[in-house]
This record gives sequence, structure tokens and C-alpha cells, in this order.
Amino acid sequence: MENQKSLQLEKVTYDDKIVKAFVLAMLTFAGVAFLAGLLAALQLAYWPFNMNLEWITFGRLRPLHTNAAIFAFAGNAVFAGVYYSTQRLCKTRLFNDTLSWLHFWGWQAIILSAAITLPLGYSQGKEYAELEWPIDIAIAVIWVVFAVNFFGTLAKRKEKHIYVAIWFYIATILTVAMLHIVNSIEYPVSFMKSYPVWAGIQDALVQWWYGHNAVAFFLTTPFLGLMYYFIPKAVNRPVYSYRLSIVHFWALIFLYIWAGPHHLLNTAMPDWAQTLGMVFSVMLWAPSWGGMINGLLTLRGVWHLIRTEPIVKFLVTAVTFYGMSTFEGPLLSIKSVNNLGHYTDWIIGHVHGGALGWNGFMAFGMAYYLIPKLWRTELHSKSLANTHFWVALLGILLYYISMWASGITQGLMWRAIDVQGNLVYPDFVETVMKIVPLYWIRALGGLLFLIGFLIMIYNVIKTIQGAPANQYDTEVQVPVAVGHDTHPEKGHRKLEGLVTVFSVLSLIAVLVGSVIEIYPTLNLSKYVKEENAVEPYTPLELAGRDIYIAEGCYVCHSQMIRQLPGDVLRYGKASTIEESMYDHPFQWGSKRTGPDLARTGKKYPDLWHYRHMIDPRAVTPKSIMPNYPWLADKSTDFVGLRKKVAVMKALGVPYDDNTLAQADVMAEKQAKEIAEGLKAQGVTQDGLERKQVVALIAYLQSLGQKGKNKGVKDDKAVASSL
Amino acid sequence: MSQEQDLLIKGHEYDGIKEFDNPLPGWWLITFYATIIFAFIYVIHYEFGGGPTLSQELEVAMKEVQAAKPAASAAPQESEEELMKKAQDPKLLAIGAEVFTGKCASCHGNELQGLIGPNLTDKYWIHGKGKITDMLTVIKAGVADKGMPPWDGILKQDEMIAVSGFILSKKGSNPANPKAPQGEPVE
Repeated sequence: MENQKSLQLEKVTYDDKIVKAFVLAMLTFAGVAFLAGLLAALQLAYWPFNMNLEWITFGRLRPLHTNAAIFAFAGNAVFAGVYYSTQRLCKTRLFNDTLSWLHFWGWQAIILSAAITLPLGYSQGKEYAELEWPIDIAIAVIWVVFAVNFFGTLAKRKEKHIYVAIWFYIATILTVAMLHIVNSIEYPVSFMKSYPVWAGIQDALVQWWYGHNAVAFFLTTPFLGLMYYFIPKAVNRPVYSYRLSIVHFWALIFLYIWAGPHHLLNTAMPDWAQTLGMVFSVMLWAPSWGGMINGLLTLRGVWHLIRTEPIVKFLVTAVTFYGMSTFEGPLLSIKSVNNLGHYTDWIIGHVHGGALGWNGFMAFGMAYYLIPKLWRTELHSKSLANTHFWVALLGILLYYISMWASGITQGLMWRAIDVQGNLVYPDFVETVMKIVPLYWIRALGGLLFLIGFLIMIYNVIKTIQGAPANQYDTEVQVPVAVGHDTHPEKGHRKLEGLVTVFSVLSLIAVLVGSVIEIYPTLNLSKYVKEENAVEPYTPLELAGRDIYIAEGCYVCHSQMIRQLPGDVLRYGKASTIEESMYDHPFQWGSKRTGPDLARTGKKYPDLWHYRHMIDPRAVTPKSIMPNYPWLADKSTDFVGLRKKVAVMKALGVPYDDNTLAQADVMAEKQAKEIAEGLKAQGVTQDGLERKQVVALIAYLQSLGQKGKNKGVKDDKAVASSL
Repeated sequence: MSQEQDLLIKGHEYDGIKEFDNPLPGWWLITFYATIIFAFIYVIHYEFGGGPTLSQELEVAMKEVQAAKPAASAAPQESEEELMKKAQDPKLLAIGAEVFTGKCASCHGNELQGLIGPNLTDKYWIHGKGKITDMLTVIKAGVADKGMPPWDGILKQDEMIAVSGFILSKKGSNPANPKAPQGEPVE
């Protein structure tokens, strides 16, 4: 009976409309992400491109660019590919049309809200997690909608086993949910302002556990799933090795989650966490390459398609870039290599090899495959698609190579020490001047990538215009019931029939590393030494810190002097864990386009900072930092300070009752002192004490100065005080 | 082709995608094992085997840096007269002018008239009594409370002498918009 039932066929209509919608959304936001990226690149090459506009100044534009690239462009690409392939791999329509469209419109609404709030300066100051708490909640809700729709589709599948692409989708959905929720636990202060519950090293570890695995589970595992579907389909060949799929899938998701601390090498992070982050990154090399091997060797026997088929060109090049990035990643995770590469453009190059090469080319290849199929027509022009490929590839190469050169050049200059024990290039701006020409080459690379994309858009518009008016969804005949094999199954094959068990095992695989690495730092006090204890920020300093975060200063300035001689000679005593123990969020940063600021307090007079914020070139003639004239116009929010201090206290920052009750009064008093000092030195501005620049100066002057014991303050005779 | 057919796994077909039963590539497997072995050795050495911690490594490196620094007392201390004589060398004055424009002018003004830092052309001194050795001391060590950074290690000894000479040569130049006098008058 069973067998007979499985021979009966029924008609299933795949939902192609939702895939079309996600494809179009992906192309739209790709344009936004690329344009924002190009402008950001130009701003670094030539600071006047900041245009004195607060909304698009680099510190705010860069989060907009990264969020658009990751969540809008890559996100919509993933949703399009997952919905298209899952229906076909499971021989069933998506679980629920309402959920599909809720997912679509919900996600686009989130993107729109990001595009509005990031330029306005609403930011949590955590990379790739800048969006404020109401949007964080919306992301979690829409992700759950996606999860329900996806797992619901698996539940009603007409295929007994789940294919390797589905494995990767499962790992993606579960892990991203976990990462997003844990990293976004925050305490709201007001609508659109919150502080994360994590502080200092806790926040550093949680943030980079999230940040690194956003790369792993938002930009890698889903794209591997797409690769496992679209490459065999595009070249019509079997996947190279099923066994390799199994081994590299489990190894990849188990090992990836541990690698986060490699973003924090040589810092104040406890040594054991750094060591784990490094060795797990090294062990990731082979599992990552397992995916590349399975992708590339699937082409055995049909390599000639690369010459003729633009789709295959894009997909194969994407996998090649994946291989390059996943070799470079473990390399950069080795402590001594990281010593050179960290905080430099090498990392920017590495990221863009992955983003433009792997994610970008996978998405383009997929779009060239999907669009003619979905719109039931032929691609308008194959040769234009080829042109797109070559122009974009040249763009990526210019980008990658210029950033390698820039990163290694600057990294070597930063740490060069002469025979007398002095820095060879003590002047930071000197090391910046050296790489500005490379910034122009990078911008040219970005421009070429964008031009290639515009060629694609023209091609896509022409293709869709030429499509038949009669658009319909794909209909197929599938068995009424899932077929049953007569012989019993063993091992992994059995698991592939049990989605729930499979999902639970995936979750356990990513939980192990997460718990082992994060749990110890939750007990922060274990690492805090009494002699290094610090005071909390004054209310005005806290207000200034929020301005620092809103302007995205952390995008270009680190606050973490690494345990390396080059860092210590340039910036002072290595940063301690205690110095950031009250920092919600931590601001260690990941890039030094400008110098480290961990010990910048009291290094320059208030007037220096005032002039520097209005026009950096007034005090550092060759600076490439944007002007921040609006800081002298906009007012500090004194009224909200009591609430902010109260929230900080609730999060464990030891403010006394007086500060709690008088936060705004204390802040106004401190602001007045700073403003009067500035006025005495000739600054003529009405109501200066209420302006943001004063609060920001208070914060900057406090950096490295919060030690309770004088020992921490000492920045002279650095070496002997170690 | 028949060989290929043998490699295909029966029953594995999803939307037309089939799977081969190729073994794991040997070189790939060796790489994987090698990284795992490396990881174990590394962790054991640095976490349990007494390998140096990062702060120990830093300490060693900083000792080397310190040892490389020429001891202050070893260098012959030049007298006020010798320094003044040296500082009047026009070549050195030109270097001093260059250093001043690059490093000092942002706070002391292009004409030394004083801006964030004090006027350097008047007869008033905050730190010292008008000697070139006083000036060198301030340039070297900085004045942390006032925001004058220490230049020792950033500028070379000769550059500091040059810029001191340049500043003294501008004394009494009466630039426009001078900053109000600070400190004590020194005749």
C-alpha cells in the first residue's frame, strides 16, 4: 500500500513570486551598499568628500555601508536563494504564504529603518550590531517568522532526506538567532537609546563571538548552501563528494563558533581566550576548504563551461575567492601575523575579498541563473554579463591588492623601532600620508565593481522587459507521500531523514564553543585587580561617550593599546581589563584609521580638542579626519542623564546616590568649567557649556585617566613602569 | 563514464542533483589533521607548558628597547654656551623652522605668537629662566598638566636643539595678535 501511495502524484505549485521579490530587493540594496561603500572609500582618500554633512560623515556612513552590504544585499540574496532551492529540494511549496510575505516586508522595513536611523546617529556602537533596540526586536521577530516558514516547509517536504544545502540553511537559521539575541541583550534608556548589559571584556568577547560568526553564519554557511544548490544545477553535474559534505559541514559549524577571539589578539583579553581563538581559526582552514573543493571539483569534466557561461564564471570565481579568504583568515589569526595586520587595511582587504568576491559573485551568479528562469525568458545579453564579470573582477583585484599593500605598509611603519629603541615613524599622520595613494586605487576598484553592477542592472531590466506578459508559478508533479526505502538506514543517512534531531545536533555543535568561551568572562570580577580599579565616568563624560558612539568614532579609533612594544612606545602602557570594565558598550575598536585613544586624556589641552573637532587640520595639518562643526552647534542632552546614570547603575556601574540624583546638575557644572576654560583662551561662542563638543572633550580627557591609583595614570617613562 | 556511474550514490537525488561517493582528498585530510595536532601542541605549550604569556613577552621586548636607548648620562652633556653656539648655525636654524612648522605651530601659532600654548616671542617664561637648556628640558619632557606633549623619542636630539635655537632666534619679533603674557618676565 505504502509503495503504491508513493507512486501517486499530486500537483505542487512553487511560490516563485516571493523569490522574485527577494531577488529585486537584493539588487536594489546592492546598489545602496555599493554606492555607500564607494563614497566611504572616497572620503578616506580625500576628506572633503565628507562634505561637512553629519548624516554621511564617515563614522555614520560606514555602519550604513556594512549593514546594507550584510543584511540588505547579502540577506535578501540568501532569502531568495533559500526560498527558491528549499521548495525544489523538498518538493513542496513554502509552508505559509502569509509568513513568506510578512518575512519579506518585515525585512525591508527593518532595512528602511536602518537606512534612516544610522545616518541620524542612532547607534549602539557595536560593529554590525549598531541598530537600536526596537529594530533589534523587529529583527528577532522577523527571523523567527523566517524560521517557522522554513522549518514548516521542511516538515511538509515530499523528499525523505534533506540535501546538504538544507543542512547549511538549518545551521544558519539557528545560529544567527542565537548570536543576534545574546549580543543584543540591552537595557533601554529611551526610545532609540540603550546600553548593552555586557561591559568591557565581556562585551568584547560577546561582540566578536557575534561579529565573527555573523561572517560565519550570515555570509558563509547560507552561501555554502546556495553553492551546493546552484553550482550542480548550473553545470548539471553531481556533487563531488557526499562524504566530504558531511565531514566539512559538521567540522565547520563546530569549529567556527570558537574563532571570535581572533579579533582581540594581543589585547587585554585573557591569554587563554586568545589562544583558543587562534587555534580554532587555524583548524578552520581545512573544513572551509572542504566546501571549496566540493564546489570546484563538481566541475570536473565540464571546466569548459567557464569559458562560455557567465553564470559559471561568477560561481566558480566566487568559490575561488572563498578559498582565498578562508586561507587568509586562519593566517591572520596567528598571533604574530595579527600583530602586523590588526587595525590595518589588510583586514579591510580580507573582508572585501569575502564580501565582493565570495558573497557578491555568488549573488550575481545566482541572479543570472534565477532571473531568466523566474521570468520565463532568456537573459537579454550574455556578453554584457561577461563584461560585468571582467569589470567587477578587475575592481576586486584593485581593491584587494591596494588594501594588502596599504595594510602591510602601515603595519610595518607602526611597529618599526630603530636601533636606539625609538619609533621610526612616531608621527601617526606620517603613516597615513604613505597610504593615501592606495586609498585612491581602492576607490577606483570600488568604482569598477559598481560599474559592473550597473551593467548587470541594465541587463536585468532588459531581460525582465522582454519577458512574456503571462507570468506563472512553477508547477510540478510530486509523489503524494514520501517514499520509504525498504532497507534500513544507518549513520548520517538516517539523520538526514530526521530534521528535528539534525537541528538539535547542529545547535549543540554551535553551543559548545559558545558556552566554553563566554561563560568564564561573565564572572568579570575574577579578572579585575584591585590595584588597577577605575572610577566610573562622570555624568558629563558619559554624555560625551554617547556622542563618541553616535558619531561612530570607534570606526576609526581604537581604545586598546595592545601588549606589543610598538603599541606601548606609541600610545603608552598597555591597556588593562579594568580600564574598560564599566564600558557599556566596550569601544576597543577594530581599525586605526586614526591613532589609538585609550590614553589620550590630558595629552592635549581642551582648546586643542575644540579646534581639532571643528577642523582637525587646524592642529594636525595633514589629518584626513572629517570636520565636526555641528558638535559646536548641537546641544548636549543634560535632562536625560539621570536616566542614563540610573541604567548604568542597574547594569552594575557603581554610581553613588548623589550622582544618581544630581547627574544633570553635576554635568552642567563640569561643562561650565570646561567652557570657561575655553573662553579664557579666546573661544567666543554663546552657550558653549551646553554644546556637544564640551561633553565630548570631557570624555576624551577622561580616557586613560580614570584609575583610582596614580599608577595607572602614569604615561611617562612607560617602559620602566611596566 | 561507467566508472562515474559506479561512483554515484543510489537514492541520492534532489531536484536532479546527484552525489558522488568520492573519498576525502588525502592532502586535505592531512592538512586537517596537521592543524589539529598544531592546535594541541600550541595550547599545551602556552597554557600548560610554561610558554611565555603575552605580558611576559612584552616585558622582554621592552627591556630590549630600553637597553637600546643610549643612557642619558653616557652622552656628554653639552653646556649652555656650546648649545647656543650650535643653535646659531643657519643650517640647523632652517631645520628648526621646519620642525616648528610641522610639530609646534598648531599650538604655538605660525608666528610663534601663541595660540593654545603660550607666546614664544615675548620675554615671559613659565618654565625656566630663559636658557636654551630650560627650553630643551620642556621640549623633551613636556608639561603634562598643560597639554604639552613630551617630544623625546619623537624628535631627535639635534632636532630639539634646532627647534630651540629657532624659537630663541624669534625672540622679540613682535608678531601680530600675540597671546597675552604668561609666567614671569626674564630680562
